[in-house]
Amino acid sequence: MLKNVFGGSTEQKVIDDIKKHIQTLSSAADCFKKGLEEWDKDHMYCVSDLEREGDSIRREIISTIYEGAFLPFLRTNICRYVEIVDEAFDALKDAAFEFNYLGPELEEEIREDCIRIAGINKEMCEMLAIAFDTLFNKGDLREKTLAIRIYEKKVDDIKFELISKLRKKEVKDFWEGRILSDFIAYLTHISDVIEDASDYLHIMNLSMR
Amino acid sequence: MKVDEIMTKKLETIAADASIYDAIERMIDKRIRSLLVKPRDENDVYGVITVRDIVFKVLEKNLDLNKTKVGEITSKPLVCIDKGMDVEYAVNLMTKFNITRVFICDGKEIMGIISLLDVMSSELIKRAREGRGA
Repeated sequence: MLKNVFGGSTEQKVIDDIKKHIQTLSSAADCFKKGLEEWDKDHMYCVSDLEREGDSIRREIISTIYEGAFLPFLRTNICRYVEIVDEAFDALKDAAFEFNYLGPELEEEIREDCIRIAGINKEMCEMLAIAFDTLFNKGDLREKTLAIRIYEKKVDDIKFELISKLRKKEVKDFWEGRILSDFIAYLTHISDVIEDASDYLHIMNLSMR
Repeated sequence: MKVDEIMTKKLETIAADASIYDAIERMIDKRIRSLLVKPRDENDVYGVITVRDIVFKVLEKNLDLNKTKVGEITSKPLVCIDKGMDVEYAVNLMTKFNITRVFICDGKEIMGIISLLDVMSSELIKRAREGRGA
């Protein structure tokens, strides 16, 4: 829809950059998952590299919008959407940062849950990309946002389970507990942010009708 | 799609001699709709108790929640399928036996469970993914 109504070259550049932004988030989520699966702290550096790349794409998008792309009433919503996606990058980067300070190995049960959440986060990023594409074709956006909400519910279920396991876990000192708690909080926050982003896609879709 | 891709691994168990009240408490605390009932002895098998069983077999009949035992309303044996089976097969079994959940097994080990909600969710996600560019 965006493409048909506002098909200028600056608009197209913004659209392409937004797609690149989500793809970069998807790559970062994938990289995070692999790092967690292999328990490789060095592998996690790719997350902060991709987050920086995401930052630069976000700046580019916002600059292009304020240079005149899109009608003014649409600009705020598009900018807000991009900022929400950027929050997902931040949560992912923070989770990767805390991961570096986690102990040598998480208990198998907790680790398995974390990997499952990381996997769902990655699938949510992919679904967000699909949902964004729907703005330009005849696909059903409602169907995609529902899929994102289903994923988020799955993460929520695992999160409650994980927290109840963590409450029984003994920690050696303040920092061990704090780092583990922050790691889980950031890891589970990503899905909330992606859900918010998908809600914004819905708002953008409505505002263009 | 295979059943082990969408199954829930979270299986909550309860003893057959536990009270219905214990079962209700466990279901509410864990936000689940069924419990796996442990065998009483070596000759016994696993069973399942669901919210539906509690409502129709206990609450509706005004039975005492503390005196009625889980084992009295447990359904046995479990409807169990291999982890490599298609989701479609599980749905056929649900239709055939008029049940809403099927257990996933690897030999004698119970690995997980899939419910109608899992089937519906995975089908919606599949449609959303396939709908790309439609």
